[in-house]
Amino acid sequence: MGLRVLIVDDALFMRNMLKEIFTKAGFEIADEAANGVEAVEKYRDCQPDLVTMDIVMPLKSGIEALQEIVREHPRARVVMCSALGQETLVVEAIQAGARDFIVKPFKEHQVIEVARRVTGG
Amino acid sequence: MDMSKYREMFLTETREHLNKMGRLVIALEKDPTDREGIDALFREAHSIKGMAASMGYEHTAELAHHLEDLMDGFRKGGSLPPPAVDRLLAGVDLLEGLLGDLEAKRPERKVAAFVSGGLKSEVEEESSLATPAPALLRVRVELTAEAAAPAARSLLVLKELGRHGELLTSTPSEGRLVRGEPASSLEAEVQTTQDPGQLRALLLAMTDVARVVVDEAVETAAAGQPRRDEGVRTVRVRTELLDRFINLTGELITSRYMLQSAARAEQWTQVRAGLGQLTRQIGDLHHHVLQVRMMPLESVTGRLPRLVRDLCRKTGKEIRFHLAGEEIELDRAILETLADPLVHMVRNAVDHGIEKRGEITVSARREKDMVLVEVADDGRGMDADLIRRKALKKGLLSPGQAKALLDREVLQLICLPGFSTATELTETSGRGVGMDVVKAAVESLGGTLEIRSAPGAGSRMVLKLPLSVAIIQILLVECDGRTLAFPITRVVRTLEIAQREIQSSGRQMVIRLGEEVVPLLSLRRILHLPSRPYAGSIPILVTEVRGRKVGLVVDRFAGQREAFVKTLVFPLDRIAGVTGATVLGDGRIVFIVDPQLLLDERSAPPVAARRGENP
Repeated sequence: MGLRVLIVDDALFMRNMLKEIFTKAGFEIADEAANGVEAVEKYRDCQPDLVTMDIVMPLKSGIEALQEIVREHPRARVVMCSALGQETLVVEAIQAGARDFIVKPFKEHQVIEVARRVTGG
Repeated sequence: MDMSKYREMFLTETREHLNKMGRLVIALEKDPTDREGIDALFREAHSIKGMAASMGYEHTAELAHHLEDLMDGFRKGGSLPPPAVDRLLAGVDLLEGLLGDLEAKRPERKVAAFVSGGLKSEVEEESSLATPAPALLRVRVELTAEAAAPAARSLLVLKELGRHGELLTSTPSEGRLVRGEPASSLEAEVQTTQDPGQLRALLLAMTDVARVVVDEAVETAAAGQPRRDEGVRTVRVRTELLDRFINLTGELITSRYMLQSAARAEQWTQVRAGLGQLTRQIGDLHHHVLQVRMMPLESVTGRLPRLVRDLCRKTGKEIRFHLAGEEIELDRAILETLADPLVHMVRNAVDHGIEKRGEITVSARREKDMVLVEVADDGRGMDADLIRRKALKKGLLSPGQAKALLDREVLQLICLPGFSTATELTETSGRGVGMDVVKAAVESLGGTLEIRSAPGAGSRMVLKLPLSVAIIQILLVECDGRTLAFPITRVVRTLEIAQREIQSSGRQMVIRLGEEVVPLLSLRRILHLPSRPYAGSIPILVTEVRGRKVGLVVDRFAGQREAFVKTLVFPLDRIAGVTGATVLGDGRIVFIVDPQLLLDERSAPPVAARRGENP
C-alpha cells in the first residue's frame, strides 16, 4: 500500500494538480482539505503519513493548522507549500515543526523527492 | 530545594570522576588483578551514582549503578576480565554523553539498552557494543543559486543536522536564519556518531542543496579532550585559602587607614612604612589569587592514556604511554589553551613517530618561573634534510636559506601552516590542525616551542610555558624616547658592552658571548626610528629567536617590574610583534613586545609563508 497523503490547499486547481502528481508516483490520497480548520479535523480522522499544507488559507492559516496538528501529533510529517517571497512564513513554519517545504510553481520531481525524503522512503 | 545551583558543581565533579574512571580502566587493562584499582573504580562509579541520584538525573544514576554493580562483581572475583575493559569504557563514554545532555539541558539519553546488555552478550556481539564514538564533523553546505527560500532551506539543513547529532555551532547561526538573513552557504560543527559519508548523502538528498563537504575534525568526543570550556569554568577553592583572602583584605584596610592618617599628618616616614607594607600585602594577594587559578596539568593530560589506547587499537601499534609531572600546576587559562595542542602532539607521535611499537612520554617540570611540558617519542624521528628539501620544493626557502639554516631551525619549518612531513595523511592525525596551530597556541601564551629530533632517534616537542598569563615580569627598555616592555621570560640576559667588543662578520655586527657568536640588531632600525651614534657602553638585550641567540641594541634599560597584561583589541592587535600592553605607575601605556614575533615580521626565512597570512 502506498503512503497516504492529506492535501491542504484552498485552490481546487492546486489540490487537483498535487493529487495527480502524488497518484502518479504511487502515493494514496488520504483526503483533501480547503482550509486550516478542515485540515486539523481531517488529520485527526485519517492520520495520514504526509500532509502538504498551503500557507495562506481562509478561516485558519496553514501555520496555525500546522501548530495544532503538531501539538496533537508530534510526529506529524507536514510539508509546507509556499509561493515565492514567503520565506519569513516558511521559516516560521519550520520552527513550528514543518519537515520541509516546496515552492510554487511546483516541479513534479521536486514534490516527490521531498515527499519521499520526509516519509523516509 | 533548588537543585539548579548544584548543576555546575555536579557536572564539574562528575567529569573529574569520569576522567579518573577512564584512567583506572586503562591501568587495569594492563594489571587486571590490581585490587586497589578495582576498589577505586568501584568507588568512582559509586560516587557518580550518589550525586546523579541526588540531582534526580535518573538515567545517569541508573548507568552509574550498573557500572558499580559490574565492579562489585569484579571485586569479588578479584580481577577484571579483558572483555570488561571495553564494556566499562563504553559505559564511561555513555556517561560522558549523558553529561553532555545534562550540560545542554536536554533530556538524558536512554541507557536501558546498554544496561540490559550484560557482559556475556557484549562479548559475543562485540561489534554491536562498539558503537562508534561521536566524532566532531565540520559540515559545509552550499545551496543552488536558484534556491527559492535560502534561509528557510538552511534552517532545515540545521534541523537535519540536529536530528543526526548535536549541533555545536553554525554560521550563520539559527537565530540569524530565523531573522531571515540570506544564506547561500552554511558551515556547522556537529558531534555525531553518523558516518561522514552517510551524513553527506543525507544532506545532498535535500532540495536546493548543491554541494556538501563533511570533514572530520581532529578529535573525537570519546578519545579527545573536553571541549575547551568544559570542566574549567568552575574552580573549587579550599576554605583556608578563602580565609587568607579575608585576612589579607583586613590587613589592606588597616594599611589604608594607616596611610591616610600618615598622609594627613604629613609623616613621610610613616607613609613610606605604609607603602612597604602595602607592597608586601599586594605581593601576598597576587600569590594567593594565582593559586586559585592554578590547576594541575592532570586536568588536561587525564584523557591522554585513553587517547593513546584507542589510537593503538585503530592503528595496531603497540605503544607504552607514560605521564610524569602531572601534579605540576599551571594557570587555568594556559591549561585551556594547552588541551588541544597536547592531543595533537600525542596523535602526531602515535601516527608519525612510532612505527610499530614504542614509547611515548608526556612529562612536565618546573624550571624557575617556567613550566616545561614535553611530548617525546622514541620513534623514527624527523629528517632535517628531508624537510629542507621539501621546503625548497614548496618555495618556502631560498637555496641560500636552506643551506644557512641549522637543523633545529629547519625542524621549526614543520610549524608553517600546511607543512607536513607525512606523505599521506592518515585518519589519526586528522587534517587541518597541524603543528602551526600548536605553535600559535604556545606563543599566544608567551611560551616557546622547541623541536628536537633526528632520524631514528625519536622526536621531542618541548613547550616552555609561563606559570601564569595575566601578571608577568617585564623588562622596560627605552628607544628614541619611547618605552617598550619585553617579557622577562623572553630575555636570556642583558649586558652593556663597549664599542670595541663589537665585531663584524660580513655586513653583520656580532658580539662574542663565551663560545657563541651572537648577531646584533638595532631595535631602532627594526622599529624604523632614526639611528644614533653610540658612545660609552652599549646596552644589549639578548633574546632567543628560533633557538638562536640574538642581541638587540637598545638605548637604555629602564627597570624590571610586574605588569598586568591587557590584551589589545582591533586594530591595535595587528601591530607586528606586540602581544599586549600595560599601564605604568605614571599612567603611560607601554606595549609589550615579543622579540620573536617582532623579528619574524622583519625577516628570518621561515616567515616567507607567514607574510601572506598576516599582511
